Amino acid sequence: MSARVPPIRPDGDLKLRGAAVYGTDLDVPGMLWGALVPAPVAHGRIRSIDLTAARALPGVIAIGPDEVDGLLPAGSRDEERPLFARDLVVYRNQPVAAVAAPSFGLAARAAAAVRVTVDALPIVADLESVFPEWPGSEAGTSSHVAAHVRARHGDLETEFKKADRVVREVYRTASVHQVALEPHACVGEVRDGVWYVRTSTQTPFGVREDLASLLGVPESAIVVEGTWVGGGFGGKGAPLLEPYALLLARATGRPVRLALGYRDEFRLGRTTLPAVVRMETAVTDGRIRGRRVRLLLDVGTSLPGRDFATGYSIGFLLGPYSTPSFEVEGYAVRTNKPPFGPHRAPFAPQCAFVVESHLDHVAREVGEDPEVFRSRHLWKEGDTTPLGQKVGPFGLPKAFERAVETARRWRHAAPPGHGVGVAGGFWSTSTGAGGEVRLRLTPDAVVVEQAEREIGSGSVLVGLPAVAARSLGLPVDRIRVTSPDTAHAPFDSGVFGSRTVGALGQAIIEASGRLRGILGERLGSPGPASFEIAADRLVAVAGPRRATVPELWTPEEAAAGGLLVGGRHFGRGGTIDEGRVVDGTFYPYTDFTGAAHVAQVAVDRETGAVRVERYAAFHDVGTVIDLASARAQVEGGVAMGLGTALTEEAIWSDDGRLENAGLLDYRIPTLGEIPSIEVEFLEGFLGAGPFGAKGLGEPPMVPVPAAVAIAVREASGAHVTELPLSAERVARALKLL
Amino acid sequence: MTVEPLRLTVNGRPALVPDVPGNERLLDTLRWRLGMKGTKEGCRTGDCGACTVLVDGESTLSCLTLAREVEGSSVTTVEVGDEDEVVARVRAAFSAAGALQCGYCTPGFVMAVAGLLRERGTSARREEILEALGGNLCRCTGYVAIVRAVDALRAEPK
Amino acid sequence: MALLRTAGPSEAAVIAGGTDLLLDVADGRLAPSRVISLRRLPWRTLDWNGTQLTVGSTLPLRALEQDPELPRRLPGLYQAVRAVGGVALRHRATLGGNLVRSAPASDLVPVLLSLDAEVDLIGPGGVRRLPVDRFVRASRKVDLAPGELVRSVRFPEARPSAYLWQRVRPANDISQVAVALAFSPAEHAWRVAVGGVSPRPALLPEAAHALGSGSPSAESVARAARRAGEQAGFVTDRRASVEYRRHLVGTLLTRAVAGILSQGELPP
Repeated sequence: MSARVPPIRPDGDLKLRGAAVYGTDLDVPGMLWGALVPAPVAHGRIRSIDLTAARALPGVIAIGPDEVDGLLPAGSRDEERPLFARDLVVYRNQPVAAVAAPSFGLAARAAAAVRVTVDALPIVADLESVFPEWPGSEAGTSSHVAAHVRARHGDLETEFKKADRVVREVYRTASVHQVALEPHACVGEVRDGVWYVRTSTQTPFGVREDLASLLGVPESAIVVEGTWVGGGFGGKGAPLLEPYALLLARATGRPVRLALGYRDEFRLGRTTLPAVVRMETAVTDGRIRGRRVRLLLDVGTSLPGRDFATGYSIGFLLGPYSTPSFEVEGYAVRTNKPPFGPHRAPFAPQCAFVVESHLDHVAREVGEDPEVFRSRHLWKEGDTTPLGQKVGPFGLPKAFERAVETARRWRHAAPPGHGVGVAGGFWSTSTGAGGEVRLRLTPDAVVVEQAEREIGSGSVLVGLPAVAARSLGLPVDRIRVTSPDTAHAPFDSGVFGSRTVGALGQAIIEASGRLRGILGERLGSPGPASFEIAADRLVAVAGPRRATVPELWTPEEAAAGGLLVGGRHFGRGGTIDEGRVVDGTFYPYTDFTGAAHVAQVAVDRETGAVRVERYAAFHDVGTVIDLASARAQVEGGVAMGLGTALTEEAIWSDDGRLENAGLLDYRIPTLGEIPSIEVEFLEGFLGAGPFGAKGLGEPPMVPVPAAVAIAVREASGAHVTELPLSAERVARALKLL
Repeated sequence: MTVEPLRLTVNGRPALVPDVPGNERLLDTLRWRLGMKGTKEGCRTGDCGACTVLVDGESTLSCLTLAREVEGSSVTTVEVGDEDEVVARVRAAFSAAGALQCGYCTPGFVMAVAGLLRERGTSARREEILEALGGNLCRCTGYVAIVRAVDALRAEPK
Repeated sequence: MALLRTAGPSEAAVIAGGTDLLLDVADGRLAPSRVISLRRLPWRTLDWNGTQLTVGSTLPLRALEQDPELPRRLPGLYQAVRAVGGVALRHRATLGGNLVRSAPASDLVPVLLSLDAEVDLIGPGGVRRLPVDRFVRASRKVDLAPGELVRSVRFPEARPSAYLWQRVRPANDISQVAVALAFSPAEHAWRVAVGGVSPRPALLPEAAHALGSGSPSAESVARAARRAGEQAGFVTDRRASVEYRRHLVGTLLTRAVAGILSQGELPP
């Protein structure tokens, strides 16, 4: 066997030669170019949609709400989510019609030629225009509210009355976008009763399920094939363009490509929206005795009952801190924007920014060292969370300790005008419903057949092979991963919530055990077989007997291309104490993943500009599955978090228009803005993933804005209670203006 | 009205592209007429760098370049073979450093770095190279591994 | 040229680097049925006549940036050119194109104002020369007669100069505020220009006057910074508020003076 070192990324060569086909690269013979027709206002009653001028252009097919019934099966569609706005437009650029044409230019012209007449209605652009103050209890039934959640425990009123000090603050956080460099893109085709879509997605089976609901077509008639994905970050989880591409394909009898220009990527994107948080904390004898958290979360046009964000996020606003008495309450407020959608670690970085900044402030107000104060209250394993769950193995106290040590060293060496901040954060790896894999044993390799495409993190092409290699006892270059379409792949919930290695990894471990058992059996041994390599072939060994794969497989297995073994993992959640819930839905955590970061910043005392000079991240990962890609996740997550911290802000105007829908004025970090990032992994606080691993896709985002904000305060005294920490906001906090 | 076919050299080979209208971007000529999808379509406003190619050895934003404006020029894209030693070295350095994740920004970075090395050589100051890469956005890597790749390239013997 | 004289902007547009034109076309702001390329004109030139510089209007900015004399003789121009977009953009973007687009946040217009640059125009009616201050009227509005083109830009003398900006990102960004500062050895006078704060970059003669006729004292600098901040015409937009812009102008001007004084070429 060769001693060659495998490249860090098995997909590297393909991508470095420009040979990976992404959604935007799909090019199918006979393909037409699709375009969506956008609603011209953010709120209004549709009076008419005139497709005549569009249809007059050569080769153009145009469809509006009246055509949909004729194109889709009768009944069984989700009436709450019509493809085209039928009567009411609720957000600007909402699709009201769609066109397909022989060229990109013609499609754009045709879309522009559709005449949409809308009677404007008052626009709710900003959540604070709905609730300038914290709403009264009648707000729960307001049409402006998509969800209301409330939970409490203990005797908050008494704690507040008895307290040495109650500290009250209001924080505001901005809307941020995923900004995957590849915009959404897909090609839809309807042929022989099969609705077939090739798309850049994180969740092929999720898309299939959702398409069935949106189109009223049975799942068995839908096939989703994922392409390479140019970044997802939560924005490519739900279908966005696929239903329209399929509708146009049905209408034209041809494959139809539908992709978003980058401006529309911003305007139509479903992501984190603005929020206002009110925090009140009662402290007695240096201990937090009571906390009240009030969240107003803009959810755009999310439908009532379909909002996950509020009940999920509000737990993060209590942070990983012990609190004997608390009350949390949240309103999901509807505004005329696209619906709230998941970002990377959805809304958790914003929550950590609020919690950490607030507790840092509380500590200072009561004369305590902010790092000691927070450490004192951090959850430990065995503690009870505010919602009544037992905290599992949890590395945050250790990570926080490492971070504080590092911060002290850096502070000692920091020049004047610099500040160092420590922030903690926690995350819970998602499970989804579950996932399956198939292992196919061939003469020289084991092939992992599973549903997910590699979206960039390496979880599919590096993480899964690493788990397979370890559980099979094979070198990693003997493992291949395939990602067939939904007609051929075993089910998996999708790439989100940092779950991929955890869920599919466990399925691989189950399948590996099964495979080794079967091989052991065929070798006449009571125990599992192990593997060796000889003459570039796999050899199964059990006891005194050894055999190559062709010597062990049956004729049927040989004909099928290999010995197939399945493995499964079912999503498992925790349970919360429902007795603490007063209203709404709260979500239990499935594991407890900690992260503590340190930021050293320099603040320009005349302009308020912040520069991050140095950064360190300590991550509670359970077990490191692959070191290079784990580091890469932390580096990338920190960089993305720095954007949320300092520069990213989607600005919505009063008439519901996204003002900075472009990569010039919506600023993600550039190369020159990223400091050196030290990364340290803490192993041993085991999670539910393979060999005790915890998910790592999202945790690196969580503490970043908090660490930067606390560092800014230390560097300059500026206590900024808004994200992002723009130079102007810092300048105002420094009273320069 | 008939249009003269557009004459270009692409990755060392002559290309004669019919039916290219005056308002077509070089990005689209490469991707849709020549079927070369390696150069990526990102923002189309010159802000992300994903569309970077070399025109006569100089890094160029193909989304902001009319194909007709570079008639007669030599265009190099990420699909060029290893006979282009500069690009080959950049690829090798990126691969060794694991300087990619989703890979969408990668072709643009490879060409931008190759263009810089061609123009300034590896003796260019580190700050200069890093500043010059400010026009290429990446959302996955945080640029850390990319900088490692650039540092490795600068450390290579001439 | 004959075509340009008779065609309106919707019929024919001129393209040099194309980096602004193509954005306007993509936006739908311009839809010319014809585009007239300047690339074959012999205007990709850069000539030093002593310390006088003439730059051809279609010279890519990257070529200007790499001229070995520029950083020493016209440091403000050098700093401003390097602030325009990124390297790949500067391989195609031109001085002429930037000037004619006259964007409120143009990095080059304020510097050209501070250096008393002039444009040489050529058209059906012949040639004429204008100070940039007269040429640039407003965003997308310059003093070009039908059929006229910018042939070159002339910088009359080498000047201690600086271009400082405040923006969100260190590279490839648009300025919230920019200050161009220069000292004319011939006239013993300062020039102060601002960009990014108002619809048209502008000279601030009062601030310049407050700096005196040589190395200014700290009080003069403070007075000049105040004058600059009092300048009318600042706007609030999504990049910055009026108050912040006012504050930044003063800060940047103070730093720019310090930068030039440290170059050590000024009379006391």
